[in-house]
Amino acid sequence: ENWTMTTTWPSSLELIEIDKHWVELVNQLVDDDKLTIEFYDGGSLVPAGEVFGAVESGTVQAGADWPGYWAGRDSAFSPLSTTASLFNAVDYVNWIQEWGGADLYNEVYGKFGMVYLPYGVTNNESGFRTVDKPVKTIEDLNGLRLRLSGLEQGKLLEKLGGNQVSMAGGEIYQSLERGVIDGAEFSTPNVDFSGGFQQVTKYWSTPGWHQSSSVFGVMINKSAWDALDEDTQNKLQIAADANLLWSLAFTEKRATEAFAQFKEAGTEINRLDDAALEQIQKMANETIEEVACENPLSAKVYASQISYLQDYASWRDASAPFNLGRTPQGPDLAKIEECAQ
Amino acid sequence: MPIIRVIDGINEVVGRIISVVAIFFAAIIIYDVFMRNFYGEPTRWAFDLTKQLYGFYFIMLGGYALRHQAHVRVDLVTARLGRNARRWVEAAGYVIFFFPFAWVFARRSWDFAMTSYAQGEVTYGAVQLPVYPLKIAMFVAAVLLLLQGISEFLKLVLNKADHLESMEPLDVR
Amino acid sequence: MSGETIALIMSGLLLLGLFMGHPLALVLGGTAVLGALIAGKPMVLGIVINRIFGDVLDNYVLIAIPLFVLMARFLSDSGVTDKMFEALRHLMARVTGGLGLAVVFISILLAATTGIIGASITVMGMMALRPMLQYGYDRKLATGLIAASGCLGILIPPSIMLILMSSYAPGLSVGQLFAGAMVPGMVLGFLYAVYVAIIARIKPEWAPAIAESEQISRGAMWRMLIVEAVPPLLLILGILGSLLAGIATATEASAIGTLCALAIVILRGRFEWKTFYSALLETGRTSAMILFIVVGATAFTGVFNITGGLRASQDVIRGFASDPYMLVAVMLIAVFILGMFLDWTGIVLLSFPIFLPLVNEMGVDPLWFVVLMAVVLQTSFLSPPFGYALFYMRAIAPPEVTIGDIIKGVLPFIGLIIMICAMIIIFPGMVTWLPTSLYGG
Ligand code: NA
Ligand code: NA
Repeated sequence: ENWTMTTTWPSSLELIEIDKHWVELVNQLVDDDKLTIEFYDGGSLVPAGEVFGAVESGTVQAGADWPGYWAGRDSAFSPLSTTASLFNAVDYVNWIQEWGGADLYNEVYGKFGMVYLPYGVTNNESGFRTVDKPVKTIEDLNGLRLRLSGLEQGKLLEKLGGNQVSMAGGEIYQSLERGVIDGAEFSTPNVDFSGGFQQVTKYWSTPGWHQSSSVFGVMINKSAWDALDEDTQNKLQIAADANLLWSLAFTEKRATEAFAQFKEAGTEINRLDDAALEQIQKMANETIEEVACENPLSAKVYASQISYLQDYASWRDASAPFNLGRTPQGPDLAKIEECAQ
Repeated sequence: MPIIRVIDGINEVVGRIISVVAIFFAAIIIYDVFMRNFYGEPTRWAFDLTKQLYGFYFIMLGGYALRHQAHVRVDLVTARLGRNARRWVEAAGYVIFFFPFAWVFARRSWDFAMTSYAQGEVTYGAVQLPVYPLKIAMFVAAVLLLLQGISEFLKLVLNKADHLESMEPLDVR
Repeated sequence: MSGETIALIMSGLLLLGLFMGHPLALVLGGTAVLGALIAGKPMVLGIVINRIFGDVLDNYVLIAIPLFVLMARFLSDSGVTDKMFEALRHLMARVTGGLGLAVVFISILLAATTGIIGASITVMGMMALRPMLQYGYDRKLATGLIAASGCLGILIPPSIMLILMSSYAPGLSVGQLFAGAMVPGMVLGFLYAVYVAIIARIKPEWAPAIAESEQISRGAMWRMLIVEAVPPLLLILGILGSLLAGIATATEASAIGTLCALAIVILRGRFEWKTFYSALLETGRTSAMILFIVVGATAFTGVFNITGGLRASQDVIRGFASDPYMLVAVMLIAVFILGMFLDWTGIVLLSFPIFLPLVNEMGVDPLWFVVLMAVVLQTSFLSPPFGYALFYMRAIAPPEVTIGDIIKGVLPFIGLIIMICAMIIIFPGMVTWLPTSLYGG
């Protein structure tokens, strides 16, 4: 088989490395007569927003993405891509591989005739970068025009008093520079640094509560997937699993380097205090309950995620301080489960 | 031929109505800039709506522009041909290039728009504007273009194309 | 089918369609469809629709194109330019070459308010050409000067060409390109003026001074000039000012500029519903014409890429170019040659997807390269056999002026454009200085 694959990321964004790494792994594992993947940078075949449609229609066999981009087609894509103040990267890995998450990806993408292999995870995003007003408390968000992507994220920001501005990644730098927006979130520190945001923002407010962690992966047209033999399908899955873990270490290393670079560039970094994060958690929970209850499939995904958190909590808390991450006081599971019917 | 008159009439009416849409997206942009700078209040829907209006505006005008021979072309060679030779060369251009493109454009836009409609696709973010009306407009625009091509082709074949007389470039860039 | 074969077939179809006199937009679209079918990949026709929607309809930056076209139309309806030229004519007529200098000056001012070449050349041709010829200006000099100065509009911001380039060059904002093209555009205009001054000195009979018959006092002349120059200067401030002061994006600046131009029309008592409506209709046709070329080109490029034609073309260029200077030289020459046959829209849309990845690969500054391309593309209006500026001039010039006169007339100006390209290559700061000081590194 010969596959054409593209991605939502232009060659200038470091996120594309995750996609390229998976393609390399596949090409190493799979014999050329079974499958070769020809990979095209984002934008060179179809614009980022059209990758979904291109894979769905079978125009290309595979497309790398961040599931949240497709939330306009089904809001259930949103929790598959990120959560507001809920999962960290390890939670996603646990949930995907052992708590039934992988099946939910295939259920949601399956509605559109696609198979999905989650193969990249990045931990907490940077948070907001602001031009000339530091965000040290929730009150500081009041009235700010902030570039932010996502449905839950936008609603949460509005609850906190800010205004969501939707804007493509390529327009953020200029808009910050020209004061069209007061601040922006984009991605992890290394990706932000490659976007040059240290040149146009003085302040950085951590943590990235709006997007506690993110998942990336590849959409595969169902008939292209079915045309592969089982052995090749397995090898693609193995490459995805290996890539998932690699992407976490890769991004965390690069984020640490970039954090130092931002400091060196003179960016003032403020972390919201725990009390503020607790308040945000409450509002995030409300938002998730609202949004989930508008779409049973979205509620199903959230219910599965929250069940995982509650299930894992016992051992996670018992193993403190050597545990992986925190147990958040998440949304009301019973309420969301009801909406999933 | 009545078919030529009907098609030209449709695109003329569409063009005369749609051309006014420029005022609306200009006005929304100005309103948003004004509200932002004087009241500190951005308009949540302005960004997506202006983009959609702009897309609707220019795509629907494709047939109208073709009716007025406004699409830029290179007539280095054809201008030197006799009227009849030129007429047939231009008609052949429609057969080789125009019809395959306009057909694929219309046919595939239909699938594209229906997929979006079936999914109830909206823009992603806190403001959720439906996307499918614009995608349906793209299909309608493709049909209007295809129709106008049929009219222009018939004019050439039936020797009724008045653009063959004066060929000063109409382009105003 | 190999990438080389498909690249040859698609280029061949493109040329065939162009020489058959079919509209460029539809030749591009048709070639995309035929290319996909010939390559045996009808499935890729899907990306044609994906690209048309995502790259052209769903594109915030391109909104500025219809709005700048509309603004240009409002401005020419306001009659500001006519009055300003008249004042300048009175002021400079007594100097050798003075009329020519007035043409350059007004053209630069027009260029800084709009980017519509046809409008600039037509306006200047109507107002300036007849007096120039009447007072004994050399035909070649007069027509060449008006044609070349009129083209400054696509280089000096605001410019729809730079907007389109930004949309096709990931990472370069409209603001950066506007800032980058500002100095080269101004310097080129200045070079045109210097050229006229030198000609007037060594060949005074080509650009004679004119004894002004109409009696007009110096005071009245200056008053006229100032009164007429204020509205367009405010417009320039409105557009570039709001953009650079951070009030607005380029798209927003285009809307503000349109509003300002309309205000000028109204304040000068020139507003009529009939002209207002015909401005809208004409803008609709022009915008559809430009944006449908983008539609066709995005279809073409998508198929060209997925069938391997794009990579094959890039390999050919790599074969020529071993170092960055060589690469840039090869590309500029290619653009210059294409400019003889195509206009900038087609050239930008076809060459950017091929060139820009190579430029990045070689470590060339993309901003510098894109502005350099913008300068070279000035020639696409002027170089025979196919140059719009030549046709526009021919259309407005009196019958005794031949197309040969006009072509001979623009040649020195093409020389000046090549000269300024060399300057930009030697002094890259001409391009990078302003954007760097405005936007940082
Ligand atoms: Na201009
Ligand atoms: Na030319």
